[in-house]
Amino acid sequence: MEQTDKKGYRGDFPVRDEDVTSSFKYEVADWVGGEGLLRCLKCGACSGGCPVGSVIDYRPRKVLGNVLLGLKDEVLSSDQIWLCAACFTCEERCVQQVNFTDVVTVLRNMASREGNAAPGYIKMAEMVMENGRVTARTGLVDKMREKLGLPPLQDPDVEQLRAIMRAAGLNDVIAANKKGAVSK
Amino acid sequence: MKMAMAWGCLVPTRRSLLGYEAATRKVLETLNIETVDVPNETCCAPFWMQSLDLTTSIAMAARNLAKAEEMGLDLLTPCSGCFHSYKRVNHVLETYPDMRERVDDILRSVGLHYEGKVEARHLVDFLHKDIGADKLKEKSTRDLSSLSIGLRYGCHMLKPHELLNIEYSERPTFADELLDQFGIDSVQYAGRHRCCGGLLRGVQDDVADRVLHERLSDANEAGVDGIVTVCSLCHLQHDMGQRSIKRKFEMDDLDLPVLHFPQLIALGFGYTPEEIGLDLHTIKTDKLVAKIMGGGRR
Repeated sequence: MEQTDKKGYRGDFPVRDEDVTSSFKYEVADWVGGEGLLRCLKCGACSGGCPVGSVIDYRPRKVLGNVLLGLKDEVLSSDQIWLCAACFTCEERCVQQVNFTDVVTVLRNMASREGNAAPGYIKMAEMVMENGRVTARTGLVDKMREKLGLPPLQDPDVEQLRAIMRAAGLNDVIAANKKGAVSK
Repeated sequence: MKMAMAWGCLVPTRRSLLGYEAATRKVLETLNIETVDVPNETCCAPFWMQSLDLTTSIAMAARNLAKAEEMGLDLLTPCSGCFHSYKRVNHVLETYPDMRERVDDILRSVGLHYEGKVEARHLVDFLHKDIGADKLKEKSTRDLSSLSIGLRYGCHMLKPHELLNIEYSERPTFADELLDQFGIDSVQYAGRHRCCGGLLRGVQDDVADRVLHERLSDANEAGVDGIVTVCSLCHLQHDMGQRSIKRKFEMDDLDLPVLHFPQLIALGFGYTPEEIGLDLHTIKTDKLVAKIMGGGRR
């Protein structure tokens, strides 16, 4: 087992009042999907079923604990929120309906606005903005489709999609991550 | 019965997934289901996009739902990622009035409106619930009882079950029931229902490899003839990712063909392997096909 977080479990503990943003958990709970956080008992059922946790040292409970403690900067700037594979097993098993996957989505949204999104996802978003799909159309695939008797590939309404993305504010998120700039 | 089809980004554009589309079209045609593709379908903004901005994702996914709504049809998709994304739209709009207002505004700005009346359906659930296992058996013309396969339900067709409302995800059986109609032995093995790590691809590649390694080891140890997936991402992982796992983890005996669920149904209906793109997969499907065809290919 490798430590993904080099600080380890006890690196910066104990946590003291002056090191935390105590309002952080309420901030998270205020977002769509974040409301379950305050119900967390830290029982660890999430960690027990985590498929990522079975190959590396990753524990959803620890992430929840960090959020509840108010370790805002650490949570939003580290890998720990980008290691969830979104399998929803923890969400399925949680007796308190914390919905860890949804809480992680909130944390990722927050981090993304601060320019800390996973670069791979930003690349994919740019691809979608360019093509209307997360993949590009190639002549080779067009030929294979024809050979298989499939109808010609439709062109996505990329103009409309771009307008939606712009109106919803995704351009700002991408810009924040391109410059590494903070735009809150 | 008529359904609006949302194929997603990957299915119609990736070599090894073209057979998913071909087989789905053929299976639905055989079952007399009329389909019409969502006009100029765009990205469904699945979980990875939700990670960047949930509001944007909901509005993006609502675009295709609005198009289906204009046609007065429910939406059918073979991709679990799309399915999950579309189910989430209705849930979020119903649960959070502020979000609905925001998404309404965004859609209005591009001349669209989504009332929230479209139900998104996953192909496999549709085959089970709306068509029925009996009907598949009726149309079956080829015996597939020589096959033992590892069925991967994946994550986004079932979890969380309150949202997706198909079957509780810990011990699902509905898709096995469908394969049973063709005599296929769907093998129960440890790890069958666990995540393949697909969403970590391109973001945490080493972790994605390790999770996939576990899944491929599980299936390999179960001694199955092949794996069957119901999700585009699962297929990309298991099929396209398999060679690099074989190298990286020195699994010399690893050689598992990975089929799309409707490809098996289409084989049962008598279609040829070529008609459903079985020759386009990264991992050769020849051995499995030979087993069905009694050693020789037509």
